[in-house]
Amino acid sequence: MAKVLMKGNEAMALAAIEGGCDAFFGYPITPQNEIPEYLSRHMEERGRVFVQAESEVAAINMVYGAAGAGARVLTSSSSPGIALKQEGISYIAGSELPCVIINVMRGGPGLGGIQPSQADYRQITKGGGNGDYHLLAFAPENLQETVNIIKESFALADYYRNPVMIAVDGLLGQMMEPVDLEAAPKTEVPPEKAWAADGNSDRKGGRNVITSIHLDPLELEKHNRKLQKKYDEMVAKEQRYEMIETADADIVFVAYGSMARIARSAVKTLREEGIKVGMIRPITIWPFPEKAFDELPASVKSLLTLEMSLGQMHEDVRAANNGRFELDFYGRTGGVVPEPEEIIDHVKRMLEKEGSS
Amino acid sequence: MRRITFLCGHYGSGKSEIAVNLAIDEGIDYLVDLDVINPYFRSRSVHELLAAEGVTLVESSIEKAANSDLPVISAKGAAPFHDKSIRAIYDLGGTDQGAKLVQQYRHMFALDDTVDFLVVVNVFRPETADAQKIVRLIDSLEAAADMKVTGLINNSNLIKETRAEHIEKGERILAEVATARGIPIRYTFHEESVPLSGTFSGETRSLRRYLAKKWL
Repeated sequence: MAKVLMKGNEAMALAAIEGGCDAFFGYPITPQNEIPEYLSRHMEERGRVFVQAESEVAAINMVYGAAGAGARVLTSSSSPGIALKQEGISYIAGSELPCVIINVMRGGPGLGGIQPSQADYRQITKGGGNGDYHLLAFAPENLQETVNIIKESFALADYYRNPVMIAVDGLLGQMMEPVDLEAAPKTEVPPEKAWAADGNSDRKGGRNVITSIHLDPLELEKHNRKLQKKYDEMVAKEQRYEMIETADADIVFVAYGSMARIARSAVKTLREEGIKVGMIRPITIWPFPEKAFDELPASVKSLLTLEMSLGQMHEDVRAANNGRFELDFYGRTGGVVPEPEEIIDHVKRMLEKEGSS
Repeated sequence: MRRITFLCGHYGSGKSEIAVNLAIDEGIDYLVDLDVINPYFRSRSVHELLAAEGVTLVESSIEKAANSDLPVISAKGAAPFHDKSIRAIYDLGGTDQGAKLVQQYRHMFALDDTVDFLVVVNVFRPETADAQKIVRLIDSLEAAADMKVTGLINNSNLIKETRAEHIEKGERILAEVATARGIPIRYTFHEESVPLSGTFSGETRSLRRYLAKKWL
């Protein structure tokens, strides 16, 4: 298929359809409304399920039910709406069900604002809901990467029997970019879901029960250890990242999503001025790509974390750095999108400080 | 340009960029942002630039509420129908839902040669990829706005990946629409980095990107 020009939210919706999404349940919120709008028309055309629920809480529980029945299910929302879904997400993870959640992030806390933000980092990577669980969480940088990951995410959710979150900020949801839907990896046929509560009573081993309740502490601990094994496998196998001009870099940026695009532009400008900067771009934010930090040469002087939030990812950078290099941080928040010049100025201030010490 | 121009188009057609370009190039008095569909990249985000160019931007009726997500439009938007010295462009939100906002003014003006209703089309948007889909869009816009489309604008592009042949493809498809519906192609827009070859219906204009971030 030739390239088409799509708005981020539309492209994500179409990618979910192409990825084999059987059913969507959601509730409107800016800046992701074009996802349900697109799906409301195009899911029906393909004989699939689209439901606008009465609330985010209802939507995520519909996801829970449909995933339990063995369907490939999607929901989408934006930051405060994702906060409302946390109880259901924890239940889905606890019940070991696959689903895909798209989060088009906006400024917070609370109702916040409607402009782009990355301030859901902690909500996504450190739980959100209760219990020892994780989401496999991707934070792509452009629409083509987003489309490819969404198409793949249903198979990943099925494999791990765990929710997968695609986290983009509002800019990626609202921007236009050429995409090629065919360039994305072919989606695997869903595996047979022998665990599904799908009314198939002929199955050997009796009825399937979907639940997250285990009243015996030893049994619940055993269940948690089983979940933990999956998370260990994700940490071993799913860390994704891009290393950009890090081989000879003095300062290495760490940035994801739209912030990485802005930082990429700053890397180019600074390199043209002879200042050696590079970047680690996390593509998964959980598991956090700690392996990328091990690849950095000893000649690096410092790391600069860049976020559209106030140091949420910086905590993971600090842990991954493990005392090896100097650390610095620059971030804007509340819906403010920094210009590349702000990063360039910050780097120059870092170099001045270094020169004077 | 006629005194009053309503600009419509599927979201992502580049309508708001064209509204800002035309307002500046044509020395328009009022740019009325009726886009209640898109939360980002709206003409209201270039308020200061327009003011410097002498264009009055009319938007939300709530002061400093550009990010309120509320579909409220200032009553000033009706001024061009009462003061015939004002030249205005109305930037309507994507799809027929956006075009409905024209209804609030429909009783204030007659459909004469001072009024244009132009549709911006990018044939690389899947929802307007062929003549049939564009005709369907025109039908829905005309029904929603209660007036006939008077012209087409070819803004076919793949942003930075645009080549001259993409704009030519837009011309071919829009020529089919023009024949089918008897609506002329009024403008073809292209960025200066993409020089045009071949002949195009209507005027060709160069497009400057005011709304998109330069690092995108």
